[in-house]
Amino acid sequence: MIGNLPFVVCMILVALGLWTLIAKRNLVKLVIGMSLVTSGVNLFLVSLGYVRGGIPPIYTYAPAAAPMVLPTPQALTLTSIVIGVATTALMLAFVVVIYRHKGTLDVRKIRDLRG
Amino acid sequence: MSVHAPILAIAVPLLGGFAAPLLARIHRKVRDLWVLLVVFFSGACVGYVAAHILSSGIWVYVLGARNPQETLAPGGFPIRIMLTVDAMSAFMGLIAGFLALVAFPFALKYIPEEEGKTLALTLSLLLLAGILGLAYTGDLFNFFVFLEVTSIAACGIIGFRTWISRAPEAAFKTMVLFSLSGLFFLLASAFLYGEYGALNLAYLSAQIKGTLVDKLALALFLAGLIMKVAAAPVHFWAPDAYGEAPAAKTLLLVVNTQVSLYGLWRVLFTLYGGALSAGVGWLVTSLGLLTMVVAAFMALVQVDLGRLVAYGAVSQIGYMMLGVGVGLVTLAGRPDYGFVAMKGGIFHMLNDALTVGLLFLCVGAVEWTKGTRDLRELGGLGHGLPGVALCFLLASLALAGIPPLNGFASKILIYEGSFRLSPILAAVAVLASILLLAVFARAFHGAFLGPRAEVKEGLPWVFLLSMGALAVGILVLGLVPGFFVEELVAPAAKALWHGRALYLAAVLGG
Amino acid sequence: MEETLKIITGQGFWSPLLWLAAALGILLLAFFLWSRGRREYKRGTEQELPFLSGERAEDPRVGASHLYWGFVEALKPFLNGLRDWHSGVITDYVGWFVVILVVVLLLVL
Repeated sequence: MIGNLPFVVCMILVALGLWTLIAKRNLVKLVIGMSLVTSGVNLFLVSLGYVRGGIPPIYTYAPAAAPMVLPTPQALTLTSIVIGVATTALMLAFVVVIYRHKGTLDVRKIRDLRG
Repeated sequence: MSVHAPILAIAVPLLGGFAAPLLARIHRKVRDLWVLLVVFFSGACVGYVAAHILSSGIWVYVLGARNPQETLAPGGFPIRIMLTVDAMSAFMGLIAGFLALVAFPFALKYIPEEEGKTLALTLSLLLLAGILGLAYTGDLFNFFVFLEVTSIAACGIIGFRTWISRAPEAAFKTMVLFSLSGLFFLLASAFLYGEYGALNLAYLSAQIKGTLVDKLALALFLAGLIMKVAAAPVHFWAPDAYGEAPAAKTLLLVVNTQVSLYGLWRVLFTLYGGALSAGVGWLVTSLGLLTMVVAAFMALVQVDLGRLVAYGAVSQIGYMMLGVGVGLVTLAGRPDYGFVAMKGGIFHMLNDALTVGLLFLCVGAVEWTKGTRDLRELGGLGHGLPGVALCFLLASLALAGIPPLNGFASKILIYEGSFRLSPILAAVAVLASILLLAVFARAFHGAFLGPRAEVKEGLPWVFLLSMGALAVGILVLGLVPGFFVEELVAPAAKALWHGRALYLAAVLGG
Repeated sequence: MEETLKIITGQGFWSPLLWLAAALGILLLAFFLWSRGRREYKRGTEQELPFLSGERAEDPRVGASHLYWGFVEALKPFLNGLRDWHSGVITDYVGWFVVILVVVLLLVL
């Protein structure tokens, strides 16, 4: 019934994140856009593991012949979430330092490195 | 012990990096000695792995298995993460190992203690571990993880000097672009996982048929990796990043870019081997030409010496893309000139690492002496820094491809291979070389020639040692290129050109 | 031994040692020609100063940024456009990434 709908939604989320990265001028909004792209990719990874009618992939007390959802995408997504946290933290740290130097968060004014 | 060499080459810098701050609490010299030990050990492992592969073939190391050679689980399906080291991976590891051996002693003297030297060394060791992981891994998701490790470590190093405003700005921009590349790489691997249920490179390579999902994944791989290798028109992060990082660490950043380029070749040649259209090869070739020309022209008008050398480094990536791109275009028929161009492109990775590395070390020495890198204020340093001036001259001539140096040896292979495909390619490449010679003549004149300027006394001998090691490398590679092309480069190029079957057999066949 | 001293390219070979031998020969020829020159000029006098169209200059040194003035002036529109393209604004850079993404998607699909 849902077919490819989760994947399409994740792609829309990624596209919205990319749009934020192109259209917004505030550094913090750029970090938010980055985290939107990350969330889209993570959702895509998790939804890859879905098996119709599947149970959580835990062997204890599992019913005899039930299909299980794939556990590997869950592990991949956890790794990706942790990487996303580190990346966001580093980007925000640099935003703080840039604000301390420049006093502004506007991308168009933080252009020392051009040409 | 030696059976674990590939994983030790990655694990030792990783753990050593985190142990460095702890050892720094005991004494600074202990930390310095520890860093040198770690880098030497990692270099020794890399050398051992390369020697083993060049004599006995592909080395597969399975992580977490009782027997490291046991690739297939019962059932015939590779389920563990494995390191698949073939001649091309070993070649990239050698480049990383050699440059780390040269860069770390330089950095130990170059970064002042009060500027957070311990943290800089930790980040650099993490970057080295990530680079070797990227070179050796045989698993797509593992590649993504190491890609992110190198991104975070690299951006930490770029933005290291938080007391000036340029470095965090460069680091933020680089972080955004690196993150995007990594995420699109992950998206592409997720597409392939969803289609085939595996993340192992060799298994996926055997399964790929050319369906719509495969093509989408190829597009996403290309988009992510093209940005990571600093190809025009998405090269904007590279001049900022190379220019703002501390000089010795820029060598590791250059190797990082080259290993990302290796990742691109691995995806295009090994993963997608047969199911490629010739259009992808032409895309790589034309982006290479664009990079060469854009970077050479931008270098012409720079006033900051570090940024000028950075643009020179970016233009050399264009040559590597041109050489291997010609191989990609002709992959279907596999004519001889395609193999020659590939040898040129891959040899150029080694030559470029040495040449650009030496240039950045010279820029670092100049900055250490005068405190500025502005060409309008520098001048007349040749009298006070004769060794540095000589090394800068040697490296400039090598980068511009002047015989008999190593730049010419790889560029002649690229010119001849690409000329047979289309004369325009070779013509543009030669013109870009000439323009780069002009650019570096201007840089050399501006920094080193002229009436004597006063210099700070006491250039550390370690600086001259590192620069001398790279200069000797440039001369040796230039005067005896045949040895290196036959022993190192040809096996690496062969591993990409028609080594796909061997790669698959090494993982799946046993 | 042969293979280590030269590299075989598609249409021929490149041997740096042969090149060095040839370069040495040419240098010897150049030295011979130079040694046949006139020796009766006076060092340290006006004869050694660069000729600046009859002008006098205290410090006749051309700075690095002036070396290629003609070339750079002629290409000024192109170079200025190129410098403006490297605008320094991160959102433009992400925009170019999306352009590459679209190009690659159109190429591969």
